[in-house]
Amino acid sequence: MNTLTTIDELGFAPALQQDVLEDTTSDHALLEATRSGDQDAFAELVSRYRNQITSYIYRMTNDYDGAVDLAQETFVRVYRAADRYQRTYAFSTYIYRIATNLAISELRKRKRRKLVSLTGFFQPTDGGEAKELNPPDLRPLQDLELVDTERRNAVQRAIGTLPEKYRAPLILRDVDGRSYDEIAKILETSEGTVKSRISRARGFLREKMRAYL
Amino acid sequence: MRKTNCKQIRRELDELMLGETWSAAATEHLSECAECREFHVQQTKLRKIVGSLGTIEAPADFDFRLRARLAKGASSAPAIYWRLVRSGLIAAALAVVVLLGVVAVRDAMRLGENPGEVARKPEVHQPVKADQAPPVIPEQKPSDHVVADVTPATIRKFRPTQQADYKKRPLSSIAISSTGASVLNGTQPAAMSTAFPIDSSAQSFTVSLEDGRGNAKTISVPTVSFGSQRIVQSGNQFAPKRDW
Repeated sequence: MNTLTTIDELGFAPALQQDVLEDTTSDHALLEATRSGDQDAFAELVSRYRNQITSYIYRMTNDYDGAVDLAQETFVRVYRAADRYQRTYAFSTYIYRIATNLAISELRKRKRRKLVSLTGFFQPTDGGEAKELNPPDLRPLQDLELVDTERRNAVQRAIGTLPEKYRAPLILRDVDGRSYDEIAKILETSEGTVKSRISRARGFLREKMRAYL
Repeated sequence: MRKTNCKQIRRELDELMLGETWSAAATEHLSECAECREFHVQQTKLRKIVGSLGTIEAPADFDFRLRARLAKGASSAPAIYWRLVRSGLIAAALAVVVLLGVVAVRDAMRLGENPGEVARKPEVHQPVKADQAPPVIPEQKPSDHVVADVTPATIRKFRPTQQADYKKRPLSSIAISSTGASVLNGTQPAAMSTAFPIDSSAQSFTVSLEDGRGNAKTISVPTVSFGSQRIVQSGNQFAPKRDW
């Protein structure tokens, strides 16, 4: 493994030259190049996935700064484990798995700290359905854009109230548009379980978003 | 029957991506079942809203912060390395200590398990008969001190570390050995009732002190005696009864 001593040695090029790295270069090839010390290859990987990973973690945690931090941690782990990477799965599956684990770990930490969002919902202690703390505002809005924004905020809040086992597959399917097969690999579970969880997650959301539908 | 059909159709619609075409059976069912049609409309709307969340962009300084993080991690690598080395050294030292302990215990057990070896050794601490002269050891220097009833060769052979002490000061007690006594030609040790005085020193200890003004003081420490030990014949119950 190459030892990096200074920031400059990492050499993240702001704009990579197309003759060095073609768009057709696969993620696997980029990671292989990273393993052999090509920092430009790693920079390309980062540029491909930074928005996706940040967005995914943000949808999971509903905290932008925390999501950026965890996204960076995801890339750090990819970089440090480059030597141990195996081509068993697609690189996207691999990096999403790391991101998912970090996000779930963060959610569990929060739960231990008992941080309850004032705009969130109460989690039932008896295992029943979650109860809404702030019922949706049913007043008509005057502007379509505002309506749209409010609806997106509401759905984001509603997603944030889903149990983590339903949240991750729903985001991967309905926000990121990934296949059931890939989601199953990312979450290390069966395809049937993924379908079932997504269906249940949509059911929860439909109840919470009834006013907007 | 219809409920089951609704469930199947809803599942099929749920699993399709937005915009994908569903089966003819689903189309037919939707045209007949208002509940499923309503479900499908709501589900499609919900999925469109969720899908409209889109991708959040990473901050502009994402790469810079990541570079800094990686560089920081790289610079801290030697510290981790040395921590590992340190812990490795401690583990190695512990392993050596355990190994030495195991070897020592094994040697001790081996000695205990093989008494024949001990019995073969001709030494021993039994008193010599009064009419017998002690064996002469050629290399032994003549000494003023009398080591009562103990052959110096025995001491030198089995207690090598104590040899210096014997030379320095007279010994009047026996160093008790764990080795068995030998019996020669079936004869038991002579009837002995020799008493061994147990002293810390045969000579008194005198110290002279002067305080610089002509005043002198002499401190004399007399010989300290701890009594005596008597060895009787019948006391050696562990002595073998015949030649080995």
